[in-house]
Amino acid sequence: MLILRTLLFGPAHGHQIAKHIQRTTDDVLQVEHGSLYPALHRMERKGWIISKWEMSLERNRDLKYYRLTPAGKKQLAHEESKWKQVAAAVARVMCPGSTELP
Amino acid sequence: MNIWHGFVSRVAGLWQRQERMRDFRREMESHLDLEADELQQSGLSAKESRHAARKTFGNTTLVTEEVRALWSLTWLEGLGRDLRYATRALRKNPGFTAVAVLTLALGIGANTTIFSAIDSLMLRPLPFSHAEQLVRLYATRNNVTIEGFYAGSPSPPDMRDYAQASHSFQNMVIYDAWRKNVSYGDATSEPEQMSVGLVPAAYFQVLDVKPLMGRLFTEEENQEGKNYVAAISAHLWKTRYAGDPAILGRKIRINDELYTIIAVMPDVIPQWMESRHPGLIEVWTPFAFADAWSEASRRTHGYDALGRLKPGVSLEQAQAELSTIATALAAAHPLNQGNGVAIKPLADTRVGTLRPMLFLLMGAVSLILLIACVNLANLLLARNSARERELAVRAALGAGRGGLVRHLLAETLFLSLIGAAGGVALAQTGLTALARMHPKNLPQLDSVSIDWRVLAFTIIVSLITSLLFGLAPALTGTRVNLVDALKQGGRSGTSGVHSQHLRKLLVVTEMAMSLMLLVGASLLGQSILRLERQSLGIRQDHLLKGHFYLPGVRYPDPGVLTRFCDEFARRVRAVPGVIEASITTVYPPNNGWTQMLGIPRHPATRIEDIPTAQFGVTDAHFISTMGIPLFRGRDFADSDNASSPPVALITEEFRHRYFPAEDPIGRQIHIGPPSFLQIAPGANITDASDVTIIGVIGDFRNAGLARPPEPQIIVLYSQHPLVNYGFKDIVIRTASEPRLLGPEIRRQLHQLDADMPFAQVQTMDELVEQETGGQRFTTVLLTAFAAGGLILAIVGIYGVVSFLVTQRKQELAVRMAIGATRTAVLWHVLMQSLGMATIGAILGLLGAAAAQRLTSGLLFGISSMDPITFATSTVFLLAVAAMASAIPAARVLRIDPARTLRQD
Repeated sequence: MLILRTLLFGPAHGHQIAKHIQRTTDDVLQVEHGSLYPALHRMERKGWIISKWEMSLERNRDLKYYRLTPAGKKQLAHEESKWKQVAAAVARVMCPGSTELP
Repeated sequence: MNIWHGFVSRVAGLWQRQERMRDFRREMESHLDLEADELQQSGLSAKESRHAARKTFGNTTLVTEEVRALWSLTWLEGLGRDLRYATRALRKNPGFTAVAVLTLALGIGANTTIFSAIDSLMLRPLPFSHAEQLVRLYATRNNVTIEGFYAGSPSPPDMRDYAQASHSFQNMVIYDAWRKNVSYGDATSEPEQMSVGLVPAAYFQVLDVKPLMGRLFTEEENQEGKNYVAAISAHLWKTRYAGDPAILGRKIRINDELYTIIAVMPDVIPQWMESRHPGLIEVWTPFAFADAWSEASRRTHGYDALGRLKPGVSLEQAQAELSTIATALAAAHPLNQGNGVAIKPLADTRVGTLRPMLFLLMGAVSLILLIACVNLANLLLARNSARERELAVRAALGAGRGGLVRHLLAETLFLSLIGAAGGVALAQTGLTALARMHPKNLPQLDSVSIDWRVLAFTIIVSLITSLLFGLAPALTGTRVNLVDALKQGGRSGTSGVHSQHLRKLLVVTEMAMSLMLLVGASLLGQSILRLERQSLGIRQDHLLKGHFYLPGVRYPDPGVLTRFCDEFARRVRAVPGVIEASITTVYPPNNGWTQMLGIPRHPATRIEDIPTAQFGVTDAHFISTMGIPLFRGRDFADSDNASSPPVALITEEFRHRYFPAEDPIGRQIHIGPPSFLQIAPGANITDASDVTIIGVIGDFRNAGLARPPEPQIIVLYSQHPLVNYGFKDIVIRTASEPRLLGPEIRRQLHQLDADMPFAQVQTMDELVEQETGGQRFTTVLLTAFAAGGLILAIVGIYGVVSFLVTQRKQELAVRMAIGATRTAVLWHVLMQSLGMATIGAILGLLGAAAAQRLTSGLLFGISSMDPITFATSTVFLLAVAAMASAIPAARVLRIDPARTLRQD
């Protein structure tokens, strides 16, 4: 879900995604970068994202960019709503009284 | 959809995987480069940043593998690996592999062969519409269906009355077939002898077979004299008339008379429609016998009859109605006393008297399949429980249960596939062999091919067996005894008491079934030997026979017939190598022509009391040619001829029955029905003459091979013009190999009449062989099955004993160590296997006794419970079992207790 969410802002390559997740979660989710790739490939096989080698002007080299597909967007929406339900449920247990998500 | 998509992408992935992985490695490299660049910018050295990048990335190999797994068809690759492993395992164990494959092949092959044959012989649906309505009608005598040579339909006038009175049938028909000389085209071509169907139009109507071209016979054409029309088969039309579209109206020459072809019939009528002389019939002419419908012929049987039931009428209803009509007919016509009729579904009559034999074969071959499956189960059990340890080790090393099951599955499947391939090959050879040895009375066997449904069935059965027993250890083994198995294999002496019981039970079953087969085969074998070796009452060797027919057109009166026959016989006798020759209508083992007689002191007022005898019309050289002994009086002489008083020879059985206390020589008897029956002289092949008995000769088989001789009387055709017909046979006693003389005899016949076919030429030995063809067929097959079953049983018992010895090595070593002698231990092992064999044998004997109902009807001269056969078969089986277990048991002798106990 995090990966899909990252790609919602536009195409990105593996390194960018890893960095982005690391940065936005304030280094809380310290995953090994390598474990990102099987996940990316799995999503590619499921048709949620597509990949393409493109010239990166910024880095001046060919990089593999991933893009969200319509199916991927749908999946993201689906997972988000599921996540919200779970999170809301957890929140209700953890801080009774508050009905809103943090 | 989704699954499909996944599959496609995976297969595609398989192709592009190399590409993918190269792509991924490049992606990974670029990731590491980017990370290293970033770290370097934050002040680290190139080397340090490179190292740190790798560290944040994690295990590159692991990630690569994970990605690779994503893009590959793992299960397919796994299967490939399993199969590779399976072939290796099987190759390392050639004994087990060979035996298992052989077992499978035998079970599958034998069953496919027999069931394919039986399917085409008697299970396949008939090629007629609503065939379930079709029945055959048989004449009965005192409520017993007439069997053997006299079997056939009720007489033509009876059939007419049944057809008129009955309401259960849509239609009913009587028909026949005769051997006739046939040539094609308008010009006289070389004629050949073939069966010609003699059928009214109703024959085709009952069968619901419509002509491809032309029309059916008319009612008028069923009258003699108006019957010169013929229907031919499509096959004959294509082969002999080149498919001439203007075939209707062309001629076919039958017995030197021209018939106009009026119809072409489709090739759907099977070869067994004519029950007594099965064979393909390709020409039909109307059923036109001048005397068939006369009152006198009410007692004549020997035609065939068919009926088609009305829809919804059951067999029982029709039978009940016919029986009522038969009673009424018997009351109205004196000749009909005791006559009745029985109906059978047409489909059940197609193999004739061989039906019980085929059922026997079916039972036997099913036993083979059972034995094969049992054996397979046994083999797999033995092998896999020996591998329990191996499996446990693999499980301990981390193999998943699924993986283990999959591995065993691959092995079993692989084995089954090879076995099935062997089975198909065996079935193919089996069917070729069957077609080659097929008896004459099963003409359908010519066209048998592998029945794929049967093949599929047998393969599935053996597959289920092998899966059941091949996977059992994997399923149970992986669940429980990881530790147990390792421990058990190490030290425990007796492993898996439960599975041992199962194995023993299987061997017992195997033994029982092989013994049943053995008993059956040896009973049938002895029966056929007795049948073929019994004395026919003649000298059977060096005897040749052939058939010819003198057409009425060219040989119109008995005097001409006699002159032709005498001249032919005289010329044949002059051929070098011929010792003696005789023209005759009778020769063993069948006769089939009976006459009513008038014998002094046997006055008959009721029809049941009229004396009858088998009747033969020959020339004066009959008994000298056949080698029949003369007991009293004199033989015929050439001086007995048309102008001298008629004389006759009678057999010993005839004398015994009709002249028990007096000398028959010189007695006069009347041949022909008594006057109170009011049958015209000569009607229905009845004679009417007084003869003097001049001699008593030895009995010979005249009512079939398996029946005792009946009274027989022999007269001279020259003295009996009423029964001097154009149908004649010649029998020739030769000095050398009789078959070699055939062409010369034919040449002699053609010198007298170039257009006369010489047919059915065979030696007496061949004739007897043909008569026993059906039995021999069954016997050979049953013997093959018994041999197959025995081999499987040997393999089974060998396997179990050698397994027991291996498994119990420890225990046996302990026994030896504490003082048992080697011989005692050997005995201990042997007794165990003999115990199994004995229990099996007892069960087998019970089974054979229970199955005797199947064999009893097929045996000749031997009881179906023959104690000697039962005993010898049992002893033989036990001896074989002892030998099969002695070889592996002898391994006990080589056990070194010290070393064995130190092992593990």
